[in-house]
Parts: sequence; structure tokens; C-alpha cells
Amino acid sequence: MDFKKPLVIAALVLSILGIFAVYSVDPFRGQGLVWSSFYGRQIIWCLVSWVWFLLIIRIDYQTLIKYGWWIYLLVIFSLIAVLIVGEVDETGSRRWIFSRSVQPSELAKIGFIIFLTRYLVQRVEEFDTWALFFKVAALGAIPTLLIFFQPDFGTAIFFVIISFLALVLSNFAVRRLLVILGMGVVASFISWFFLLDYQKERLLSFFAPQRDPLGSGYNVIQSLIAIGAGGLSGKGWLSGSQSQLQFLPARYTDFIFAAWCEQFGFLGGMALLVLFGVLIWSMFNIALECPNLEGKFLTSLLTWIFVFQIGINIGMNMGIMPVTGIPLPFISYGGSSLVVNLTAVGIIYNVAQSKGEEDWEPIL
Amino acid sequence: MWNKNPLEQTQRRITILFWIFLALLIVLSLRLWQLSVLERERYQLRSEQNRIRISPLSAPRGFIFDRNRQVLAEDLPNFTAVFVPGTVNLEEAISGLEQILGRTISTSPRERSSGEMVLVDNLTIEEVIRIEQAGEKLPGILIETFFARHYPLSEVTSHVVGYVGRVSAEELSQGKSADYSPDDFIGKNGVELFYEDILKGKKGYRRMEVNALGKVVSVLENVPPRFENSLVLTLDSEFQQFCYQLLEGKKGVILVGDPWTGEILVMVNRPAFDPNALSRGVTQEEWKEISLDPGFPLTNRAIQSLYPPGSLFKLLIAFSALEEGAVNEKSVFSCPGYLDYNDWRYWCWKRQGHGRVDLVSAIAQSCNVTFYNLGLAVGPDNIRNYAQQFYFGRPSGIDLPGEKNGFLPSPLWKRQNLGEFWFPGDTINLAIGQGYLLVTPFECWQMISLIATQGIKAKPHLLLKVLDAKGEEIWSFTPQIEDKIEAQPQTWNLIHQGMRQVVEQGTGYACRGLPVNGKTGTAQNPQGEDHSWFGGFFPREEPELAFLVLVEHGGDGSGEAAQLSRKIVEWWIKNRGGSE
Ligand SMILES: [Zn+2]
Repeated sequence: MDFKKPLVIAALVLSILGIFAVYSVDPFRGQGLVWSSFYGRQIIWCLVSWVWFLLIIRIDYQTLIKYGWWIYLLVIFSLIAVLIVGEVDETGSRRWIFSRSVQPSELAKIGFIIFLTRYLVQRVEEFDTWALFFKVAALGAIPTLLIFFQPDFGTAIFFVIISFLALVLSNFAVRRLLVILGMGVVASFISWFFLLDYQKERLLSFFAPQRDPLGSGYNVIQSLIAIGAGGLSGKGWLSGSQSQLQFLPARYTDFIFAAWCEQFGFLGGMALLVLFGVLIWSMFNIALECPNLEGKFLTSLLTWIFVFQIGINIGMNMGIMPVTGIPLPFISYGGSSLVVNLTAVGIIYNVAQSKGEEDWEPIL
Repeated sequence: MWNKNPLEQTQRRITILFWIFLALLIVLSLRLWQLSVLERERYQLRSEQNRIRISPLSAPRGFIFDRNRQVLAEDLPNFTAVFVPGTVNLEEAISGLEQILGRTISTSPRERSSGEMVLVDNLTIEEVIRIEQAGEKLPGILIETFFARHYPLSEVTSHVVGYVGRVSAEELSQGKSADYSPDDFIGKNGVELFYEDILKGKKGYRRMEVNALGKVVSVLENVPPRFENSLVLTLDSEFQQFCYQLLEGKKGVILVGDPWTGEILVMVNRPAFDPNALSRGVTQEEWKEISLDPGFPLTNRAIQSLYPPGSLFKLLIAFSALEEGAVNEKSVFSCPGYLDYNDWRYWCWKRQGHGRVDLVSAIAQSCNVTFYNLGLAVGPDNIRNYAQQFYFGRPSGIDLPGEKNGFLPSPLWKRQNLGEFWFPGDTINLAIGQGYLLVTPFECWQMISLIATQGIKAKPHLLLKVLDAKGEEIWSFTPQIEDKIEAQPQTWNLIHQGMRQVVEQGTGYACRGLPVNGKTGTAQNPQGEDHSWFGGFFPREEPELAFLVLVEHGGDGSGEAAQLSRKIVEWWIKNRGGSE
């Protein structure tokens, strides 16, 4: 079966819905200035990143994997550069370069995954050995710590999770994986005592945002009310009893899912979840269908970029995850995340293009 | 544990991960079901009872004063009808409001960050009273006081003071979202932009309880916005107005400042724009008209436009030649009206020639032939070095956004960028301030100023003082000597003498009789009539002021620019009690 079609269609429909979602909450919507509004910019970014996608799918993923070490060095270099010459954003983190247009930790996610793939598929004989675990831990720790000190905890945690998933794929025994998890918990407790006070403060407000009652706690309550008030079929396009969620801050970025659900209700929310489901289902099938180990690693790790963001963002909109400022792929306003997401989709597309086994029966 | 078939095992692991994802998706769907179907009534009730509204309150911006505390920018109250979402919908509210006001509302509603819509700006007092009296008949409508920026001197100070505008989507997504909501004003240009962080006040907010009609029942918490700091600029607004009038109907620049402290008293550009209109907000067509105007009214020509300096640059050539030992007070040149060099004939502006001239009278008469020779003797690389010492092509550090810097050509640049060798003809052009050389008027003012102080460089600035909310001074500028150009005393002497002769016997005859040292300049302009320059300082000993006048298409420097300079100096002597 050809999984490229559902993959591209789901991504395309999601990015078009994203434009509508941003439009519906755009504070500059009524002003007639199309290109200086949020949705106008989203349209431009959408076009740019889909053109970019068409370029990406032409790059053979085997070539990317071949340059794995170089990509790793580039990732480290750019993260160091950010710490030295990076620009600070409103949250006080040093994440940006080139006048806040590029956030290297975003692209670093993909680079790191390419590197892990390259590193692990060359060490099949070492699978499920402590030696391999320590090597992966050491190589993963460098970029993770660099991101941790920006500080960008959300992305740092993503790096840890990706490294762990890479071990899962490397056939580590369940017992060993549990020991590793235990070591992780112990290590984080110990490192707590080495953190400076302001770093502890930031971590606490990351995991327990209700410490700031007028801040994100208020947002979550408004978000829950919006979703609940939407009911089964929603209040309709551009309307809502919360007057279009005008209570809701960051409604074109972090809380766009709630804004969507108020307008289109449970059915609209499910439509998004199903579309994300189709997208990720296609990715998993591409990974399963691919005949070689490197394709499988690359695709399934890239897939988790999406799983991670969707889980955290929608979870936080519904009050079951901490409020972390992680956007919803394709839907939230923002150009650089759109580019990164379509880069990942593009690489996966290329994996699917390199012909796999014909008789593969899809999962589900 | 070495595995025989890693591919197959990995395949199983991927399948397991897929089930984990599916479980996550199901958890999210169930939670969504719980919120929007099972608990729907509870949340819908809460949403209807959600009558606690948090409304951010925009802060008034600080005043901007001139050095004599004349107001250059202030916030005037702007009464606004705001729609507070409640049970009535927006259309009903608008039609109700239109009935009360007796006019149709043509502008589209603008959203405030808290969810309120601004329906009408700039209500008159009578209209405010009518709305207040209508009371319950107008559910969902509130009167709020916003502030509108007003610039009493309008065009006169437009480029320096700048203007404000509503914060844009771009600024919001570039990290301003923490401090601004879409309804707030932010400095867009000039001092308003440069000192945005000082001028913006502290925002407040209001937590209100509203009834079912959207009317505020009680204010639970009111944290009023705070007016914070005001700025006192170095500008002298009366002098600025006078200079602005001098350029009536012309395009050009006038700069006047204290060369010892770097205080800028006058920075006038024409054409100018109306900052009041821009701050109120203009339509796209109006904006197009302003920004595409061929006279470039938005450009702060003083720091953003590039021109060839023409003969004004001869002062720098004279300085370089004196310092390099290519000329001294005894040197005599002969000008037959032209210079023959490598089969080319380069003319003096006076074709019949200046005859035998020394350096002082060469400056006074602006004799091209003498400066051709000096330029060739010093060489293009040296000229470039000296020009950089005088801060040509370097940021001046003035406290305004968008400063541009001049361009100093060099043989290396020409070879790398044009792929041609540097010819002696290029040096000859450079020696009279023509050719590839480009400068900003402000750079020329700095050169004049450095000559006036004999090399002492004060940091140029517009900010004199910062006042707190009560008007108390909390910061004031202390002049900083940034740099000093070292030169022999005789070098400065001869240049001062030359500039004196310009006025007394030479091309600057329009200023004759005034205690001024100056230099004319004529910048050839392929698009039309030449640009006219005049730069100078006065009094001759212990100079108080350095000034620079540029009139686009004003003909040669001895004409318009020098005549305006005479009026500038006379005004100062008459109104600010100048010496002599
Ligand atoms: Zn001559």
C-alpha cells in the first residue's frame, strides 16, 4: 500500500486548517491589512514551507544518514553559537539567532535524530549492551545540556525522550530499560542540588505553572471552559459564547486547540485528532514497511517529534499536561515550527519513496 | 545480548510504540469527550457566568520636551466606546450605539486583547455624555479613556521626535507580546522608537464583574496604569521652528549643535510628514501616498540620505595634506584654470584660473586645481584613513534609529567590486568630494564640529534629561569626550584661517560681516541642479555652535546654503545673545 498519499494529504489538510484556525482568532483580522496579520503571515509561511517540502523530498535519506557525524557536529556548533551570540526572547531564554528568525534547537531535533540513526545502525552487534547505552547517553547529553542551559526545558526533555526511544528501538531488554529509567530518576534528583536558584525557579514554574495563579493557571481554566462550552458541535465559525475566546491569551499559538474546539465542538476536535492519527499512522507504516534498519530508525524517531508535540499541546489545552509553550504542529501560528515539521514529513516521504516490500499489510 | 535478527525485533518495537501512540490518542479523545460532552453543561454554565473580565489598561506615554521644556509630544485623552462581550451580540450593540450617536460607524471594530472591541475612537464630550445617559438601553457598551499621541509642532520636529502607532503583528511576534497588547501604542520612529523603553508607562489592568447585559457591576480590582518617565531633549524648538521655515518650499537639511558637548539644537529636514496623522493611524492608501512620495518626507535626510560632499571635503583634504607634510603655510600653487594629468585635462571651477595661491586662499577660493594636486600628493588610501578619523563612514552613535553611514571609496574596493584599477582621475575626483564618495549631512556636521573644537570629539546626542513621573530629574547627560584627533596646532590654525577667508574674501560672501568660519560646497548632481552645502562655526575663537546647511538643487554653495546660514547665525545672535 502507498502510505505517501495519506501522509501528504493529512499534512496538507492540517496546514490549511491551521490557516483557518489562526484566522478565526487573529486580532488583526478585521483591519484589512492582510499581509501584516497573523493569518496572512501564516499563509506565506505555509507556501514557503511546502515549497521547502518539495525540495526536501528530493534529498535521499541515505545521504543524510551518511553525513550523520557532520550533522551532529553542526548541531553542537549551532547550539554553542546560540549560547554565545544568541538573542534572548521574552521568556528570558537564549534561543534565537539571526534577528530571532531561526531557533536552532528546533532544527537540532531533526539533526540529532539523523545522527542517532547513523550511530546506532552501525552498531547492531552492540545492541542491548551497557557499553552502547553509555555511549548514547554521553553523545545525547552534550546537546541536551546545551539546550537545557538556554534554557529550553521542553526541547531538552524531548532530546532525553528521543534518546530513550532510540534505545527501545535498539532492542534493549525491558529489564534493562527499566533500570535505565530508574537511573534517570536518580540522576535528576542528584542534579537538582547542583542547580542554581534561578534555574530551580524556572524548572518549578515549568512543571507546576499553577504557582503563578494569574498566569498560566488562569489560561488553563479559560481553555477548559472554551472546550466545554463548545459542546458536541461547537458554537460555529467565528463565534462562541466566550466571544471567541477573547479571554484566552496565546490563542493563536499555545491555546489554538481550545479556540478550535469552541467553534467546532467535540466533532471538530475529533476531526483534528483523526487527522493527526492518520498522519502518524502513515508514518508508523512507512517505518514498518521500510526494508532496512536505518529507514526504520529514522522514520520512527521523526514520528515522535509529532507525537510529543501533539500529546503535550492538546494535553495542556485539556488540563492534563503542564503549560509549556509547545505549539500544535501545523495548526499553531508560527513559521519556524511549520518549516521544521514539514522537513520531518519530507524526510519520511523520501523514506517511503525508496521502494519497500510490496506485500506489506498495514497495521490497523 | 547479541541478537540474531535485529530487524525483526526492531519491527516489534515499532509496533509496540504505535500502540502506545494509539493509547495516547484514545486518552486525548476520551478527555475531549469528557469535557465537551459529559461536562458540557457545567462548562457552558461557567462560560455564561464567566463575568470576571480582565482588561489591560494602556499606559500613558511620557512627555517629550525640548531643552526649554516646550512640549514636543504629549498624550491627549481619547474617549472611546468599547464593546464588552456579554449576552448581546456585536451587531446589536453597534446599531444601538449608532442610534444614540445619530451617525453610522464606518470603521470596523478593533479587538482589544481582553476580548473587548473598540467601536469608535475620538468621541466628543457631548457624545460621551449621551452614551452615559443612555445607560441600560446600551448594553455591552463602555466608555473608556485611551490616550492619543499629539505633537504640537507637528512637521517641524517630525523626524527627530518620530511618531507612534499601534503595535503590529510583527512586533508582537518578535518578543513584545509580554508587554504589549494589540491595542497599545509603540514608538515607530525617531526618539519615540529609540527611547521606547523609557517612554512607555507601566500598564495596568482591571478585573471587573459584569452583569448579563455586559455592563460592569463592580470592579473587583483596579490597578491603574502608571505614567512613568518623560524625556528632555537637547533641541531648541524655537530655533528649530525658525530653521524649518527657512527651508520652506525647499528640500534640505539644517543641523546646529554645540561642538563641545555634542548637543544637537536643531535637526530639520524638509519635506517632512505629519506625525499626528501617522500616529492616529492612516489608511493603506494614505500610507502608500506618504511612503511613495518622490520627496521622501519620511526620510530623516540628516542621518539617512547620502550625498557627495563636494568642496566641503576640501577641508579634509587640506587637513590630510598638512598632516602628511605635503603642504605648509609657505607653499604656493599656481592655478591656470586646469590641470593636465595623463593626457586628461581637469578643469578648475574658475576656468580663467586663480593664478598663484597659497593654502589659505585655495580654501577661500575653493580652487580645484590646488586640491587636485594635494589629493594626488596624499593618495587615496591616506585620504580614506583621515576621513575615518573624522568619523566619515562610521556610526556616530547618535540616539536615533536608522542612521546610515557614508561611503569611502578605496583602490582595493574598486578592484574587488568594479573589477577596475583606481585611476589618478579617481583621486582627483575624490579630492574635490565627487566621484564614488558619499556622505550623510550629519557626518559633515561632525567634521565641521571636530574642526571647531580642534579635534575634540564629543558624543552627539539628543537626550538631555530623563524626568520621573513627578517631573524630577532622575538622569542627565554628562558630556563625554569620546575621542581626540591629534594634529599639529598649525594644521588647525591654517584650516581655521582658510575658513575665515572663505567668509571674508571667498566663496562664502553671503556671510560677510559675521564672526563665522565656514566652507561652501557644491555637489554635482546628475539628476538636476547641484546641491548647495554650507558648513561652519561661530564665534571664531571659542566656538559656541557648529552648523550645516544643505539645500538640494540649491545651486552652488555660495548661494542658497550660505544665505540661509547667515540668517541662522543672525537669529542666534539676536535671540540667544550670541557674543560680539
Ligand atoms: Zn583654481
